Amino acid sequence: MFKKLVNRSTAKSPWIYHINAGSCNGCDIELVAVLTPRYDAERFGFKLAGTPRHADIVVVTGPVTAQSKDRLIRTLEQVPEPRVIVSLGSCPKSGNVFKGGYSIEGPLEKYVHVDVTVAGCAPKPEAVIAGLAQAAQLLKQKREAMKK
Amino acid sequence: MAELILSRLFYVLVFPGFLFCSAAGLLLAGIDRKMVARMQKRIGPPILQPFYDFMKLMGKETIIPHNAAKKVYLAAPVVGFVSLVVTALLIPIFGFTAFSGVADIIVILYLLTIPAVSIIIGGAASGSPYAGVGISREMVAMVSYELPFVIILLAVAKKVGLETGEGITFSLAAITQYQIASGALITKWALIPAALAMLLVIPCEVGSQPFDVAEAETEICEGPLVEYSGAPLGLYKLNYAIKMFIMTALFTTLFFGGPGVSVGNEAANTAINAVLFLLICAAVTVVCITLIHAVTARLKVEKLFKFYWTVVTGLALLSLILVWLGL
Repeated sequence: MFKKLVNRSTAKSPWIYHINAGSCNGCDIELVAVLTPRYDAERFGFKLAGTPRHADIVVVTGPVTAQSKDRLIRTLEQVPEPRVIVSLGSCPKSGNVFKGGYSIEGPLEKYVHVDVTVAGCAPKPEAVIAGLAQAAQLLKQKREAMKK
Repeated sequence: MAELILSRLFYVLVFPGFLFCSAAGLLLAGIDRKMVARMQKRIGPPILQPFYDFMKLMGKETIIPHNAAKKVYLAAPVVGFVSLVVTALLIPIFGFTAFSGVADIIVILYLLTIPAVSIIIGGAASGSPYAGVGISREMVAMVSYELPFVIILLAVAKKVGLETGEGITFSLAAITQYQIASGALITKWALIPAALAMLLVIPCEVGSQPFDVAEAETEICEGPLVEYSGAPLGLYKLNYAIKMFIMTALFTTLFFGGPGVSVGNEAANTAINAVLFLLICAAVTVVCITLIHAVTARLKVEKLFKFYWTVVTGLALLSLILVWLGL
């Protein structure tokens, strides 16, 4: 019963950690817009965490620049299981307008398994919420697959 | 004998102890989050959100950093939790106390510093520089609110002592008895500044918005909790929630005490009184934690220190002087 309760709670309390991997700040603002009174993602239990150790969902924005690549990988390794990685915006998926630039080392999929991709430049808050809700369900599935 | 042991076990594990204070604390934390959301014109999380957060953290992986002192790192949240449960046992709920006669205010004062110390120890054991900044801030916060807190308790003790002819009494049982006999202490106007000061001490003690310098998640990555994950983090979150309940319960006991409701049956009395007590606690939480949280931004450390040692200490001292003059 305890395990069932934990599994059900996992989907209801996803904490977000946000990494900017060379983003232009557009997607970052859209992510914050999701937490404002108009969209209020906190009604689903979403909360911005201050450190990767507290995170359940890691949101990555930006095309993964040469400077941010190592830090990104190191930060992602610090997130405890179960975790879900969301790529937000077109940049981490394809490089967007920065594609082919000398400092671009993307896409993000080269370095880590991406669970949910939200495309758009920048994505609409509705799309961000839909992606995060999907991530929360994935989180629950991952938790159920865990042994203890 | 067996009955005595069973009733004591019930006290420790269920009613004023472990289960009750955890549930009450998480409920108050949920009400706080919901009310903050409503005040900011949001829908807000469900009231049970802190329960979900706690259960989720129980199911997460616990990472112990490479350069952490493992045993201290894991024991620190447990020490804080146990001391909070012990405090919950000693605070009277109207006429009812689990362990009456053994506790006075000074014991509670010391027990209440242990959770803050456990955060400092846990943060220091995690070996992170962010935690280092966080614990130095936590210490400043502790020094800030302890002084007015002590003066408030002194004013209350002196008032009750003067009225009962003992000079000064630190016994919580005596304070409760006095309030049952002659009305809640909030009605004595010499203690109103002390009550106001106590309302300002509560948010700093529980580390809520304008006074959460130690856990500032946007500047120092949640300070002492930076390396914690999984079950120990859940325990710390539970500690914050229980602290909310303990502080508002202490406020209620000191200033809104009284005979409570009486319907004849002792068990029913206690249950009704507990619900009434929780309602007052929730009201106090909304007034002193939620309202301030919703309208303010985080203070700087020096500003926090200055505020507590001037405004709040001034209010508490005013009350103490009024009491001493016999008003």
